[in-house]
Amino acid sequence: MISEEYRGAKQWSRDKQAVFTVVWISFLSAAIGTMVFFALFDPVDLSGIFDAELDIGRDAGYAAGFFFFWILCALCSSVTAYLVRTAPKRDAKHRDQ
Amino acid sequence: MNNPQSASMYESEKKIYPREIGGRFDKLSKLATVVLLGLFYAVPWFNWDERQAVLFDLPARKFHLIGLTLWPQDFPYLAMLLIILALSLFFFTALAGRLWCGFACPQTVWTEVFIWMEQWTEGTRSQRMKLDKAPWSWNKLRRKGSKQFLWITFSMWTGFTFVGYFTPVRELGAELLTLSVGGWTLFWGLFYGFATYGNAGYMREQVCKYMCPYARFQSAMFDKDTLIISYDEERGEPRGGRKRSVDHKEAGLGDCIDCQLCVQVCPTGIDIREGLQYECIACAACIDACDSIMDKMDYPRGLVRYTTEHALQNEGTRVLRPRMFIYATILLILIAGLTTSMATRTPIILDVIRDRNALYRELPGDIIENSYTLKVINQNDVARTFALSVTGVEGISLDGVSDTITVDGGGVLSLPVRARAHRANAYGIMTIQFTVKAIDSEDVTVVEDSRFLGPTP
Repeated sequence: MISEEYRGAKQWSRDKQAVFTVVWISFLSAAIGTMVFFALFDPVDLSGIFDAELDIGRDAGYAAGFFFFWILCALCSSVTAYLVRTAPKRDAKHRDQ
Repeated sequence: MNNPQSASMYESEKKIYPREIGGRFDKLSKLATVVLLGLFYAVPWFNWDERQAVLFDLPARKFHLIGLTLWPQDFPYLAMLLIILALSLFFFTALAGRLWCGFACPQTVWTEVFIWMEQWTEGTRSQRMKLDKAPWSWNKLRRKGSKQFLWITFSMWTGFTFVGYFTPVRELGAELLTLSVGGWTLFWGLFYGFATYGNAGYMREQVCKYMCPYARFQSAMFDKDTLIISYDEERGEPRGGRKRSVDHKEAGLGDCIDCQLCVQVCPTGIDIREGLQYECIACAACIDACDSIMDKMDYPRGLVRYTTEHALQNEGTRVLRPRMFIYATILLILIAGLTTSMATRTPIILDVIRDRNALYRELPGDIIENSYTLKVINQNDVARTFALSVTGVEGISLDGVSDTITVDGGGVLSLPVRARAHRANAYGIMTIQFTVKAIDSEDVTVVEDSRFLGPTP
């Protein structure tokens, strides 16, 4: 509990909590995902798959991979957070069961 | 249901102004900060064998750790290391509570440094509170300006150092001086610098309260014998102000003089006297604060102290308990496993790729020939010479390649070879073995299977 001195202070709103948590946790997950993925695959080998002309270097490949994972994880967490928060509330009389 | 808290996302919490306090734990935390951050900023500058001692060379896809060079194929070591680190966190949490949060977490450590800079430029806690309330003036502008200058400079240096773990830091420094830093390097440097600035300058304890997963689940590792920071309610209550000369026991008061110092020093803005709370990062500032008051009042120290739930209930604390043994055993097994596998690691990798264009070729004199490309990676840092041989089919030999090959330190040699055997011995699908053996050491040998194709008998 917040001490007397800071009582009445605004807590983070639920929206803000959700946004920051989603961004941060998906960042961490993306970091792990990127690490595992690029330990197995070299971005230089992959760049030819989509388009033979596409020749992005490793630096750009790693960055693209990281942001792809970050967006994917953020999408996943935000949908989860949204569904959990907007789920129909259980009736009060059933809540303890 | 209506959303009861539809307040704007951008409203922040009331700012917490932690008061500075000296003491035993403050010294410890300053030491931890100086050592940990000192390492962070210094390590990229150390050299080993004319190259950066610690360099995660992502563009070249290899990690240099002092004398060791790790390749993508060594990824299991990294995974194992991460598991060991996670388990150590469990172990220390069960033993001593949130030591990590209070003394070692980057969030805490960088916040500490940012608060130092805030104190140098904006003064003590009360001066800072006054300054924030005051209207803009030359003095406020100067103080806030110099704080921002220090914060931003420090953040940029942090970002630069971070990138220096992935790009040779000395070259990077030279590029920085000539303003020719490459695009992605610049981006990641600014990204990390900005994250440091935001997290340590503004978000601070809110990261721990709202965003940190460890802060939420660490209590699962706690039991009644875990070291926690706690207020001794029995001794402290009833709290209240009194003169130093008053015999408080006669006046019916406990040892707590209700000075609020423990609250003012708390970086997360809680009152430790209300019991164990998940906001508490166990930085022990309140212990220092309370001890300083107890000294002034001539009361014994330790009204707020490191203790355990069992100790508070006047039951003995058991440090050696099954939970500790289980964590310690798993940890030791994993550490032993990692050390052994790294110590016995063969520093060569051999890949054999069969030529896909032809199954086999028939040469004059009833000779069957298969083509391969060998990839030999020398994971050592110095050039090495290897003997190359093939076995598995009677009379099989290699053509177009000398018996020994030399691969540069950390180099990859791509070697087209042709294996030949007499038709009488080569038919159908046969398994052969390529062997690469270091000339200078019998132990450094790697064998890789491949197939040798011949005509159907």
